[in-house]
Amino acid sequence: MVLGELGSRLTSALRSMTNATVIDEQVLTTLLNEIAAALLQSDVNIKLVKRLKDGILKKINLDELPPGINRRRLIQTTVFEELCNLVDPGVESFKPKKGKRNVVMFVGLQGAGKTTTCSKLAYHYQRKGWKVALVCADTFRAGAYDQLKQNATKAKIPFFGSYTETDPVQLALEGVQKFSQEGFDVIIVDTSGRHKQESELFEEMKQIEAVVKPDNVIFVMDASIGQAAEAQASAFKDAVNIGSVIITKLDGHAKGGGALSAVAATRSPIMFIGVGEHIYDLERFDVKSFVSKLLGMGDLAGLAEK
Amino acid sequence: IFGFFKGLVGQKVLERADLEPALTAMKEHLINKNVAKDISDSLCASVRESLIGQKVSSFKGLNALVKESMEPALQRILTPKKSTDLLRDILAAKAERRPFSIVFCGVNGVGKSTNLAKICFWLLQNKLRVLIAACDTFRSGAVEQLRVHVRNLKSLDLDGQGSASTNIELYEKGYGKEPALIASDAISYARSQKFDVVLVDTAGRMQDNAPLMQALASLVRVNNPDKVVFVGEALVGNDGVDQLVKFNAALKDYSNVAEPRQIDGIVLTKFDTIDDKVGAALSMTYITGQPILFVGTGQTYTDLKKMNVKAVVQALLR
Ligand SMILES: Nc1nc2c(ncn2[C@@H]2O[C@H](COP(=O)(O)OP(=O)(O)OP(=O)(O)O)[C@@H](O)[C@H]2O)c(=O)[nH]1
Ligand SMILES: Nc1nc2c(ncn2[C@@H]2O[C@H](COP(=O)(O)OP(=O)(O)OP(=O)(O)O)[C@@H](O)[C@H]2O)c(=O)[nH]1
Ligand SMILES: [Mg+2]
Ligand SMILES: [Mg+2]
Repeated sequence: MVLGELGSRLTSALRSMTNATVIDEQVLTTLLNEIAAALLQSDVNIKLVKRLKDGILKKINLDELPPGINRRRLIQTTVFEELCNLVDPGVESFKPKKGKRNVVMFVGLQGAGKTTTCSKLAYHYQRKGWKVALVCADTFRAGAYDQLKQNATKAKIPFFGSYTETDPVQLALEGVQKFSQEGFDVIIVDTSGRHKQESELFEEMKQIEAVVKPDNVIFVMDASIGQAAEAQASAFKDAVNIGSVIITKLDGHAKGGGALSAVAATRSPIMFIGVGEHIYDLERFDVKSFVSKLLGMGDLAGLAEK
Repeated sequence: IFGFFKGLVGQKVLERADLEPALTAMKEHLINKNVAKDISDSLCASVRESLIGQKVSSFKGLNALVKESMEPALQRILTPKKSTDLLRDILAAKAERRPFSIVFCGVNGVGKSTNLAKICFWLLQNKLRVLIAACDTFRSGAVEQLRVHVRNLKSLDLDGQGSASTNIELYEKGYGKEPALIASDAISYARSQKFDVVLVDTAGRMQDNAPLMQALASLVRVNNPDKVVFVGEALVGNDGVDQLVKFNAALKDYSNVAEPRQIDGIVLTKFDTIDDKVGAALSMTYITGQPILFVGTGQTYTDLKKMNVKAVVQALLR
């Protein structure tokens, strides 16, 4: 699946290092180049790849290492740690609070998977016993309300939206107010797709944020995105208070490196990943196991903590 | 005297190692512009081959030299090798009294339905009668999405008559039905009702999803459309290459015919969201050798353009 290919490339790079007899500057450089190539092929932002490489080189100064140290192990753990740093902003990901109204707002580029993921998240919370509702604040995309309505109906999740109201800010406000009054625990607001080049769309997003006062803003990113990811993610981050990221379409072949770069740009944790079109195709994201899997080495997590 | 001077300063023969720094810089430059990594690698490799052994007066201008040799290569890849004149093809079919059919396919959420609607708008402007076939019978709201577009397009007073247009209609059978069958019924209907064009919308699908890819291949085989158009987004990174390779492979492998259909053209969407990171245009044309028929540049009906190859080449090298 997902990062499998990248994982096996990295594993073989690390293994070839293990087999080399002497670990010198050249072996290390070859290894880092191999890792960089694999990361670039997975759409990790080119500047991040460079930073990662430099970070590892700086940490491992082969000339100054004490004689007794296991160089292979040192390189392995350093690679592991730096990869973790890449996807882990060190912030707990959002959890709704009991006995309180929790408003979650979805934002992201066009077609990233917001509406689908909204429904998945609502379904996820609902199954855990929360009282959940969905609000459609997308008045722009043709069929947006029908899409959310059909998803919600299938999963028996209460929803709010309109065929006639054209102001998404008004709709978002009404929906959140309605479900607040009705005592819902989690209210999820879906918004239209937008991009940084159209400032009016960003303005609208800010207005929605201002009226619904979300407890968490979730930025949805498509796993297949390439080098444009960082600029878009940074712009979203600057405009609204992004709290979490969900990467979608990881059931495909895309390795999600572009989306991972967005995590670095937003400094927000990946909360879930989307792995299919069905409402149950949502998985929790865990940095350590993700990177261990990435490297194809389960025991590295233990190594890193020593 | 001049000859002697020249001999002293330069006339170095370029070797592999001399070129490496400039080529590495170019490779990174292209990757940063969102050209797929493998394609950046092979483009730089071919530039290297063309430059090794050439004589230069100094190694100072190597970056410029690499750029200079890259430019025609990019230009060549991006320049369509066959006609992109859809209207001419449609009129030819019209002369044969048959509807011209176009199937839109691609992965999830790239803009198939929206750009199909934009193309419909453009066809209506050209006084053609268009039937839209709703063959995404899976994704929630897919049929309603097209219904809204058809309603919008009907109410645009394109013919200046002030009345709802009869030049556009939606052919739909709701959800859950067999897409290949709906497409074939739609095409028969278009024939009997004298529509000039049938635009077939399909569900988004991941290129590794075998059952869904099989279903697409079957839709194409059964209906043998005039054009199979791949819709890809300009945002896509390295996955774009894989998408195209596997869509073509599926059309071939699942069709069991001697001469399988392949993707005939590309619609490149969301071009307005990428600034100058225009590399996907290059990756997609490089991999298929097929032309970019249209570029989607926004979310309204008029946001559909022909690609400006020169501008894309310039953006790539800038
Ligand atoms: N295979 C797969 N498809 C997905 C996933 N998440 C979403 N999709 C599909 O991606 C397409 C776009 O999803 P939407 O939920 O409509 O995206 P959106 O961000 O709401 O789009 P806009 O509202 O137009 O900006 C649909 O075909 C979804 O079924 C996923 O995890 N895997
Ligand atoms: N900015 C921008 N957005 C676009 C463009 N083309 C399509 N979109 C948006 O992308 C989103 C997805 O478009 P759709 O047409 O529903 O995509 P699709 O490929 O049919 O999606 P599925 O059928 O779910 O696979 C919508 O919000 C569109 O408005 C474009 O050229 N530029
Ligand atoms: Mg949506
Ligand atoms: Mg569609």
